[in-house]
Amino acid sequence: MTMMSDEGKASRTLDALTDLYATSVEPATPAELDRGLDALLARAASGRPRRPRLVRWSLVGATVALSTLVALKVTSVVHTRLRSVETDALTYRIDGGSVLEGGYLRESGHAGINVFFNEGSKLALTPGTRGRLRAVDKEGALVNIEHGTASFQVKPNNSRRWLVDVGPFLVTVKGTVFTVSWDPLREQFELRLRQGHVVVSGPVSAGEIALRTGQHLIVNLATSATAITEDNPDEESDSVAAPMQQAVTPPSLQPPGVVDKPVGSSRAAVSVPSRTTKTVEHGPWSDELARGHWDRILEDVERIGVEAALGKASSKDLFALADAARYRRRPDLARAALLAERHRFPDSPRSLDALFLLGRTEESREGGAAPALGWYDEYLAHAGGGAFVGEALGRKMILTDKLHGPTQARPMAEEYLHRFPKGSYAGPARALIRTQQ
Amino acid sequence: MATHHPHAPLSLVVTQDRRAASDGDVARGMVVGDEWAIAEAWRRFAPMVLRMAKRILGSQSEAEDVAQEVFYGVFRKAKLLREPDSLRSFVYACAIRALKTELRRRKLRAWLRFDKPEVLACLGSRTMDVESRDLLRKFHGLLERLTARDRLVFVLRRMETMTVEEIATSMEISESTVKRSMAHASSRLSHWIAADPGLAGLLDGERWGE
Repeated sequence: MTMMSDEGKASRTLDALTDLYATSVEPATPAELDRGLDALLARAASGRPRRPRLVRWSLVGATVALSTLVALKVTSVVHTRLRSVETDALTYRIDGGSVLEGGYLRESGHAGINVFFNEGSKLALTPGTRGRLRAVDKEGALVNIEHGTASFQVKPNNSRRWLVDVGPFLVTVKGTVFTVSWDPLREQFELRLRQGHVVVSGPVSAGEIALRTGQHLIVNLATSATAITEDNPDEESDSVAAPMQQAVTPPSLQPPGVVDKPVGSSRAAVSVPSRTTKTVEHGPWSDELARGHWDRILEDVERIGVEAALGKASSKDLFALADAARYRRRPDLARAALLAERHRFPDSPRSLDALFLLGRTEESREGGAAPALGWYDEYLAHAGGGAFVGEALGRKMILTDKLHGPTQARPMAEEYLHRFPKGSYAGPARALIRTQQ
Repeated sequence: MATHHPHAPLSLVVTQDRRAASDGDVARGMVVGDEWAIAEAWRRFAPMVLRMAKRILGSQSEAEDVAQEVFYGVFRKAKLLREPDSLRSFVYACAIRALKTELRRRKLRAWLRFDKPEVLACLGSRTMDVESRDLLRKFHGLLERLTARDRLVFVLRRMETMTVEEIATSMEISESTVKRSMAHASSRLSHWIAADPGLAGLLDGERWGE
């Protein structure tokens, strides 16, 4: 009986975990899709069919590679045995504080906390920082920074993995020296990488951001702004960096339908802090976008001014600017470019797509759900069989559910399933209908 | 004379009449190398491929890489498609094949200890708390332990809500194999969950209020 009960519990837990896992994957954003399409088209344009001779040589190469792999495996077994001696469990000692139940670090004085690991890595929490050692074992460490600033000096070791949860962000450490901070009140994340390589994942436009030595990442969730700057090595010091001043301007919302407003007057010039301002003029923005040079586009706009840029750019370049701004989490600028597209090129096919993208841009703001709904409504009213109809209907369903509840969202779910039974929002639509039954 | 434009401006917006094209028209467009057809195929099917790849691989960047491989492969092999109208199924099958290959490649890399599987990085970062993300990491770790086939079948059936018939067709295996694989994956996952102290606590229903 107990066995049956345990099996039942395990099965229910599996169901719950499966649902949690499935729902944690968010649909691809327009930015992701645009980026992927850029890459695909570029590859298709330059790709050439593989020649038979190449295939034959590939077989020879594969045979050689297989032999090498077998040899490497033998080596790795020996190496693993040797390494198992080296990779003992991580241990640590704490200066300036103690560790409480649950791994919470408590400061004993006012000088911060230093955690020294036996392998040579070091973690320093500035005074007032709330941190937690969630897991420390032979596999590596999982550290949680709930608020404040912490510096890490992680000794490179391929057999260990260091993960740092900082607010809603996850930093995967590859053996490096960096300072990270999270301010939950301002919803601001900062990471200054002094040496090595880290990958940051979380609510950022590009999904994951890989940083290299000398880069400084700031993400402000409240203003949906992301900035990556290059630090000048001369300005570096060994001390923990003070959080940089936030240089983003809070966005000013404008309800849907006000597309006739002169967009040039929009205060969209969200300034990205950059210490390496370039002065060269770059190529057409649509070309720069295709090459992934988003920052060059934004630098051009900063140099020539937002009003001039929005007033003179071609339809294609305005769209490229909007894309670059969205990728870089500068919704004000993206919005201004899309409104300029609507205002200056009302008959362009892009003008219709701009409605949908305005909705996506609004969604990236705090409190932007309601205006986004308006843009989606307007897009769906005019789109017919437009490119983003499925996406717009799906987003409308999600936002309606969020703002007004499942009862009002249900007709949209039904319409979505009727029109796009295998669409990317079919799962959420079915789930929404199930909750109503 | 054919012209080659390695840096030609890329059109991210497909014109209206192309969007109304059937899957068959898109497939035929790809056969003759029309850029609009590639873009349209991406627009129609990439969201599905990316979502499925993220669920199966647990990594945003790897999912994007696989999606690139899938669509480049679809573009190159479109002429082999006997029924152009079945483009969607063709893309599904290509995606599943690519994911299976990627999972096997991972296993091989792990076997050789060249590297460890990538951590779960793209799931729940926006909406979930630290504890939920921990659960996801643990569950992802269990999925990593399944064989490539069992894992694919489990995710396709339980998360992508594909039917047994659809899975069998896409993976080119029999329906009974799908069912066996599904039962095997569920059984092993349940067993591992019960044996994991962190997850076993969930059996008490604290998290989901059972």
